[in-house]
Amino acid sequence: MTGLGDRILGLCLLVLAVAYGWVAQQWPEPFGGTEGVGPETFPTMLAVVLVVGSLYLMIKPDADTQWPVGKTALELVVSIIVLVVYALLLEPLGFVISTTLAVGTLSWRMGAPAKSAFAIGLLSAVVVFGLFNYGLSLSLPTGLLGGF
Amino acid sequence: METLGFLMDGFAVALTPYNLMFALFGAFVGTLIGCLPGLGPANGVAILIPLAFTLGLPPETAMILLTSVYAGAMYGGRISSILLNIPGDEPAMMTCLDGYPMAKKGRAADALAISAIASFAGSLIGTLGLIMLAPVLARFALTFGPAEYFALFLLAFATLGGITGKNPMKTVIAAALGIMISTVGIDISTGTQRYTGGVLELYEGIDFILAIVGLFAISELLFFVEARMGKGRSKVNMGKLTLTFKEIVSTIPTQLRGGVLGFIAGVLPGAGASLGSFISYTLEKSVLGKKGRFGEGDIRGVVAPEAGNNGAASGALVPMLTLGVPGSGTTAVLLAMLISLNITPGPLMFTQNADIVWGVIAALLIGNVLLLILNIPMIGVFVRLLSVPPMYLLPIVTMVAFVGIYSISHSTFDLYFMILFGVGGYVLRKLEIPLVPIILGLLLGPEMEKNLGHALILSDGDWTTLWSSPLSIGLWLVAGLGLVLPTLVGPILRRRMRNAIKEGPVSD
Repeated sequence: MTGLGDRILGLCLLVLAVAYGWVAQQWPEPFGGTEGVGPETFPTMLAVVLVVGSLYLMIKPDADTQWPVGKTALELVVSIIVLVVYALLLEPLGFVISTTLAVGTLSWRMGAPAKSAFAIGLLSAVVVFGLFNYGLSLSLPTGLLGGF
Repeated sequence: METLGFLMDGFAVALTPYNLMFALFGAFVGTLIGCLPGLGPANGVAILIPLAFTLGLPPETAMILLTSVYAGAMYGGRISSILLNIPGDEPAMMTCLDGYPMAKKGRAADALAISAIASFAGSLIGTLGLIMLAPVLARFALTFGPAEYFALFLLAFATLGGITGKNPMKTVIAAALGIMISTVGIDISTGTQRYTGGVLELYEGIDFILAIVGLFAISELLFFVEARMGKGRSKVNMGKLTLTFKEIVSTIPTQLRGGVLGFIAGVLPGAGASLGSFISYTLEKSVLGKKGRFGEGDIRGVVAPEAGNNGAASGALVPMLTLGVPGSGTTAVLLAMLISLNITPGPLMFTQNADIVWGVIAALLIGNVLLLILNIPMIGVFVRLLSVPPMYLLPIVTMVAFVGIYSISHSTFDLYFMILFGVGGYVLRKLEIPLVPIILGLLLGPEMEKNLGHALILSDGDWTTLWSSPLSIGLWLVAGLGLVLPTLVGPILRRRMRNAIKEGPVSD
């Protein structure tokens, strides 16, 4: 079926819109009552707009785009994991180590030779760390290199 | 001349050594951002916002920095158009048509020089237009009531897809999503918790800066990973500068026409810089007719679109500064900076924050001179940086985005949120849902709700107040047109633009 992507998106948006609109109806009336506009008025309008939009998407979808498959999809997942792990390790490992690893891995996966990728990672990490901590006196986490 | 007096005050703000330094820095970084593939102007400005914050810059300095970056990015876009035949940003697309053939003939240096001059002329015309038009429009905008503002915001969303936009319904969906995200948090007028799920970090709402950086920077990284364009592309040789004074003089009429047309396209809702450069290129082609050799490296074919897109860039600041309604992605990001500096954009800014508005305008003028000076002798530096392959560049840019977001709140919670926005942005971009309306929704959502509330309170809950004044009816009509026209005129215009681009490579 053509336009599958848009149809699925439309369905997801429809669910989102209905849930969003339904939640808005559950809020208690604010103290003192409302004059014209309550907290739920605007969200309800938005929910209606999004319902119409999502229905339109499902009825008249655009042609499908090419989605990444196989190895490319894997590379994408790896990149996202690298980003999440970077955020996870930023504080415990410290800025320099985690940045070297994250920038290095990303560059390497994007096609750079591993050695130069990690070298660039280390270099950029040290430069940015120096710039922030000593130049701008904004502290980035030092982590394992705490004494440094 | 009241305006002139304000402008002089603006110069006094912009010419302090501190601000001048940031203008220079911004112009340099902006050119870099514009010319590097994979780092569009909106993206680049977005990444710099957290940095401007953490540096604790005063508001006028922060705005001067970002406006210089914006102006610089428009200059930089042409460099990769001419040397690589890849536009650095969308409006620079038309510059490829004659710029690249010129470069192939060994006149790359000339093309870069003349386009720098054309950018300067276009920007200058645009900024002069801004100086004349903005105060008038701001005074007019003072007559707007909440109902008019509500209609105006709708108009902004409706025309955002632009007249060349593909599917207006997707713009509507994107805008709705953006506004929905902006409703998360505690409702300002009643104190009701909305969509927070009891998560403490969500009480104050979702910070639009991290949403913007995530949507642009992270999704861009993912796109590059997917396209496997890490290696970059080969470029042509620079050649020697052989531009003669006579040649520069001969393009002056082209520069004037391009700049004025670009400015008009920039001010009008729904047109924008891409259309500005397209119109000025086609006009130039039809004015000169057979006398020109367009598509084969005609020097005026480089001048026209560059003057056009830089004129449009300044023109696009008019609605942003006077009405608080940006017409493009990059001006939306500039608006984000204003809002986070606690400055209410709109007509009142001209009276309450006159130093900032006029400081920014003066900085734009100074920035242009700086850019012209930077761009002619230092072009070699930018060209060398152009050969930094994206596989090193994009991870570093992503890292800078991480650092910026982290340094605002020192919480990793924000980083996860940013990644989430990045992945969402990637999926939406794949499905051709535009990201700019989402960002505009995030920014304007709270204002829209506030104005709706005020309008309804003033009218005792009578909804017809939203379309009861002639002005608001007009705004509703234009908004309607903005949604309908692209489906009628859009395909024709898009075909023309495509044809114009196809002609280029075929003829060489």
